[in-house]
Amino acid sequence: MNSVFSNKRDILVFVLPTLLIFGAIVLVPIFVSSYYSLLDWNGIGAGTFIGLDNYVEMFTDSRALLAMKNSLLFAGASVFIQLPISLILALILASSVKGEGFYRTVYFIPVLISTVVIAQLWSKIYNADYGLLNTILENIGLGHLAQDWLGQRSTALVSSFIPTLWQYVGYHMLLMYAGAKSISPEIFEAAKIDGASRLRTALSITIPLMKPILKVSLVFSVIGALKVFDLIYVLTGGGPFFTTEVPSTLMYTTIFDTYRYGYGSALSVFIILECLVLTVVINKFIKSE
Amino acid sequence: MKAVLKKSILILLAAVFVVSLAACGSNSSEGSNTGDNGGKITLTLWDQSVGNTDPSAKLIPQIVETWNNEHPNIQVKRTGTTGEQYKTKIKTALSANEAPDIFYGMGGGSFMQPYIESGSVIEITDYISDETKSKILPGVREQMEAGGKVYTLPVYTHIANLYVNTELFDQAGAKVPTTYTELLEAAEALKAAGITPAVLGEKDRWPGMYWFDIIAIRQAGMDAVKEAFQDPTKWNSPDFVEAAAKMQELAKKGVFNSSMFSMSYDEMLGAFNAGNAAMMFQANWVNAGIEDPSSATKGKVEVVPFPVFEDGKGTVGETFGGSSDGFYISSDSKHPEEAYQFLEYLSEQLGTQGFLMGAGLPTWNTEHLDTSGLSTLDQAYADLMGQATAFIPWFDNVFPAASAETHKNLIAQLLAEEITPEKFAQEMAKLEPTELSL
Repeated sequence: MNSVFSNKRDILVFVLPTLLIFGAIVLVPIFVSSYYSLLDWNGIGAGTFIGLDNYVEMFTDSRALLAMKNSLLFAGASVFIQLPISLILALILASSVKGEGFYRTVYFIPVLISTVVIAQLWSKIYNADYGLLNTILENIGLGHLAQDWLGQRSTALVSSFIPTLWQYVGYHMLLMYAGAKSISPEIFEAAKIDGASRLRTALSITIPLMKPILKVSLVFSVIGALKVFDLIYVLTGGGPFFTTEVPSTLMYTTIFDTYRYGYGSALSVFIILECLVLTVVINKFIKSE
Repeated sequence: MKAVLKKSILILLAAVFVVSLAACGSNSSEGSNTGDNGGKITLTLWDQSVGNTDPSAKLIPQIVETWNNEHPNIQVKRTGTTGEQYKTKIKTALSANEAPDIFYGMGGGSFMQPYIESGSVIEITDYISDETKSKILPGVREQMEAGGKVYTLPVYTHIANLYVNTELFDQAGAKVPTTYTELLEAAEALKAAGITPAVLGEKDRWPGMYWFDIIAIRQAGMDAVKEAFQDPTKWNSPDFVEAAAKMQELAKKGVFNSSMFSMSYDEMLGAFNAGNAAMMFQANWVNAGIEDPSSATKGKVEVVPFPVFEDGKGTVGETFGGSSDGFYISSDSKHPEEAYQFLEYLSEQLGTQGFLMGAGLPTWNTEHLDTSGLSTLDQAYADLMGQATAFIPWFDNVFPAASAETHKNLIAQLLAEEITPEKFAQEMAKLEPTELSL
């Protein structure tokens, strides 16, 4: 068996089917999109080659720039709000608390629910007329705080971030939990014998040993934030007045509502490049530490 | 070992190619799906009627079944997909040259125009017999033939009017408005009684556009609107600035619900049907929902023409709506003649039976039909159709796609007081002209 895995040709046999499928449904469309992004094309008939004009437009169009800013803000919120919450939950669960399995399941449930359902759920929570949030505020005497959460500039963006952060907390928690659980119990015993407190154990032993899994979580979280689409699309559709627009919702409206396949393709290429660059940066950053 | 390996690679590659070829094969035949089996052909039909309360969703399968029973050699296979997803699906299929033989297309302009220009759908002018023409209502026929070339037959039409919840109006002691001043007075009275005067689902943006468009028609008159479509600089004129100012005034005075920017179209219908607001400006496709046994407002709703303006040039007969969506034949179809036969049958059957079931207003001759079973709202609409002197389709269907988006976004900004009426008119003047016959 060992000789099979050391032979390059044998490896090829096993890798080839997946490579072909991956190439056909991922790599080829990326290259085709890159080509479309150089065209002024309405999706039917022939497009006109316009070089990098779509990209120039993208970086001068205030709507596209706002969408990019929003997605970066979202990535920041994922890293600095979502991941710490996941980490704390994972550390608590991994330290053999009572009902470990129960809490693990409960926190993971939002991940299993379809994003569209989550978006509908939260749009009912935020609803200005009969929403849960406003009803609670009114009942505890904070009625003056009740407002149209998704319908005004000042609150729409934050309100649409919260459901996604909430939904994926459980996912990252599970990754980190698995990472923490895979650390050998002997190390913890040694720490206990040395008299280390729970906090000291977490900071000096668990977290450093979880570094590989933290890196994975970080990459997933950032990329997930950059290409978020379904939740925003259902919750606000990018509105009001583009306040909650992200590159993927802008790409969708550009292609399917205004028939600008070239410009939409340029946006999709931008999303891919943005994700690739940030993944490389994160990997470099964590390695050099 | 080496020989075995070589062989296995070859077999694997062969298998991959066979699978991929098979995949391609089934793909290309799915598009037209017109296998000849001893003179028997199959036509594919795509439409967007699947909703529970949508009468067309019940009718289309019935019509297809009757046709299939009567024409054993021309079998029709129908696929229905819900609204927004249907648009995406049909656009993708048309771009990939995999469109079905016959498909539903939104009429009036921007949706079908690119496909008509690129030759993705066939022209049916020569297929239409004089007998068929005589069955189509005169006004509709005129509109259909205005461009010289015909691509679709009318099914039914829709017009927008003001829905009024009479129970809430009585509660507030308000009078159903016939002028702009009366509209403001009624709104004041309703607000004083703690009732939301009008409900608007501006999250989807087109419901707000309906309000602005009718205000523009009432303020500037239909002819001015038609001219502005051909020469957009005319949007920047005192009449349209005044229309924008009136629209903003309505929002400022709290005529609409404060939650309009987070409310979707469906939620708007829900709120109106539940009796949470006194007015709604929508087209007759909402009738079925209001008349539904589950609706709290059933029997309490009246439909009236949108108020006229004391200082406006528009008349009460100038009607918003009237564009006819229809079915189109893809140029990929291998049997255009048979497809046309079915198209004609489907359009007439759906147009007449759909009218009787409250799906839309008639475009085909309905003299031979028994209309006594129609709901009160539908009967009121029949009268409104009779009073109508001129029609103009939904503006977002008339504008080219990108301009339609801008138009809707500008109206949302106007409602939120982010732009002034003057700025609105200046931005409207930058839109693309449209050459479609209206």
